[in-house]
Amino acid sequence: MLTAEYFDGQSTRVRVVNLEADGQFLSIAGEDIERRIPFGEVKVDERLGRAQRRLHFSDGAFCAVRDLDALDVLLASVAHRDGWVDRAQRRARSVLIALLAVAVLAFAGYVWVLPWAAGKAAAKLPAVVGRQLSVQTLRVLDGNILLPSRIPQDRQRTLSAEIHALRLPGGGVPESELLFRRSPQLGANAFTLPDGTIVILDDLITVIDDDPQILATIAHELGHAHGHHGLQILLQGSVVGTFLAFYVGDISSLLAVAPATLVNASYSRELEEQADEYGAAVLRLNGMSPALLAEALKKLADSHRGGGEMGYLSTHPATEERVRHLREMSR
Amino acid sequence: MTQASTGASQGGTPAVSAPQAVIFTGSGAEYFGIWIVNLLLTIVTVGIYSSWAKVRRLQYFYRHTEVAGSSFDFHGNPIKILIGRVIALAMLIAYNFSVRLHSPLTLVVVVGIAIVMPWLLRNSFRFRLYNTSWRGVRFHFRGSVAGSYRVFLLNGFLAVITLYVMAPFMHQRLKAYQHNNSWFGRTQCSFHAAAGQFYPIYLVLLAGLVIFGIVLGFSGIGSAFIAVSNAQKHAAHPNPFAFLRLLGVLYGALLVVGLLVGPIFHALITNLIWRNTRIGEHRIECNMSPWGLVWIGVSNLALTVVTLGLFIPWAMVRLAKFQLEAVRLVPAGDLQEFVAAEPDKISAVGEETATAFDFDISL
Repeated sequence: MLTAEYFDGQSTRVRVVNLEADGQFLSIAGEDIERRIPFGEVKVDERLGRAQRRLHFSDGAFCAVRDLDALDVLLASVAHRDGWVDRAQRRARSVLIALLAVAVLAFAGYVWVLPWAAGKAAAKLPAVVGRQLSVQTLRVLDGNILLPSRIPQDRQRTLSAEIHALRLPGGGVPESELLFRRSPQLGANAFTLPDGTIVILDDLITVIDDDPQILATIAHELGHAHGHHGLQILLQGSVVGTFLAFYVGDISSLLAVAPATLVNASYSRELEEQADEYGAAVLRLNGMSPALLAEALKKLADSHRGGGEMGYLSTHPATEERVRHLREMSR
Repeated sequence: MTQASTGASQGGTPAVSAPQAVIFTGSGAEYFGIWIVNLLLTIVTVGIYSSWAKVRRLQYFYRHTEVAGSSFDFHGNPIKILIGRVIALAMLIAYNFSVRLHSPLTLVVVVGIAIVMPWLLRNSFRFRLYNTSWRGVRFHFRGSVAGSYRVFLLNGFLAVITLYVMAPFMHQRLKAYQHNNSWFGRTQCSFHAAAGQFYPIYLVLLAGLVIFGIVLGFSGIGSAFIAVSNAQKHAAHPNPFAFLRLLGVLYGALLVVGLLVGPIFHALITNLIWRNTRIGEHRIECNMSPWGLVWIGVSNLALTVVTLGLFIPWAMVRLAKFQLEAVRLVPAGDLQEFVAAEPDKISAVGEETATAFDFDISL
């Protein structure tokens, strides 16, 4: 005997009834109600936490039961079996397995699947996508943190000619457009836009002050362009951002804003290594030593150390490791 | 149980006028099992199972929400939700691409979305209410399509051209459209707050945002941040330290807005809206403490970050309990006398599209 509340689906009237299993029938008896329903026609809700569990009948009426354990006994007596997801949700062992599986899948997805898929997709995207993104980026940066270059025109032309004369591992010469800019905020730096355009900052030229070494840093940037790293990072950021927004967005939209930018930091290291490898290959092909890139990196790191607030870069082990790796390659 | 005890306290006659507190009985530990199993199934099925997971999530929360001894229920069909999600995803991709790539197509896509959006939002209200029931009687939304265009397009346009001076008015019109057209069975709901009551609360929001803007402006950090974060986003690598410092300041400011100004505004406006909503002659009380909501938000965020997201189920339960238990139903008569209406079938497309575009469709 089990107490339940009966609702007819037509009004909010509550009727207190008793439920009993009667062979393959469910018998309902209480305040002006008397029904016998074959169990085959009863739809049993999942047992979700401590919520009242409902037994739905085909005419829209239902019973709500509070004593969940007693209901389980009654359901067992008619050989009712809960769905496997329903059971998995409340069994400690399956919940623990799910937790471990989610952790493993999330890690594998983040570390291997996402970069791989984003890299593939970046290489397949039409060139116009990278072009548009680059134009937009430059529009935001120019006049904001990027100022016109003070490097003399003929010096710019000489450097461009040297860079465009480099032979590339896949055959051919660099097609990247070169832009000269000055930026007090970014200091000695060069970066590659999604369409492969390379922006060279004045301080990089003055700090390195040695054409072969400048060529070496640009060879590294050509590696970013060759690998479509700009688009890849953009795609990765969008995917992680969307994913986190979906799951964390319920609690706070704040957290959802952060990941797209934060995620890039952890990816960049591997991409830097790829670009170093490519740069070293370009240098060797043109009869130059990969050690040139190592020297240039050291000079850049030193220049940032001098700035005081740039301490993060110089204390970061990545540069030292890259320098060591490049020197090994040059032997 | 509550039903029985309130009945007894009135000496046999039904306790029709005793206020009925909303009680939320969910627990984070219980919900964790449901959350993680459904999350795994969603990952394994590359997102397809998320529609089933959503139904289960809503059912968990609805069924643990009780008024007068009876809980709510959610009846949404996962397949319909899945179809809605596919359409929403397609629209989202079209929108994102057209916004990033400036082409003549951009205007077509944006105008197209603006034209279907009010209709989709109306459908989303219909879907959500139609699939919500209490004691077996379903809610309904009967707002007209014309009304949704007036509320979303016309009023939205008015708000923008008046530099958002009319935003509180628009909010009031939206809530009036939603609540006046909501039905519980054959009982119509009604909304009684005037636009004038929305303005003081919007002034609180404005004050908070102005302070935020002044702080941000003083640190001179706004424009530099936008420039550097754009460089970062497009795979350039500017000085990481300067970037982190900017990021820190900006997120600090965002945290203040998101965790202080936002929740205070939300609590005040929610109280106003529900205190002025009636179901037939039955009134609703809502006393959500703004500072209580701030605390829930701050502690939920901190614990979610510290536990790498594992606290999410507890955070969801805490937030739901805090918000729901601020509400009381003040009956004007017998709660047993609501009668169901003729059912009508509703599509899920609207709701999913609306959530993907991050519109507030909470009722």
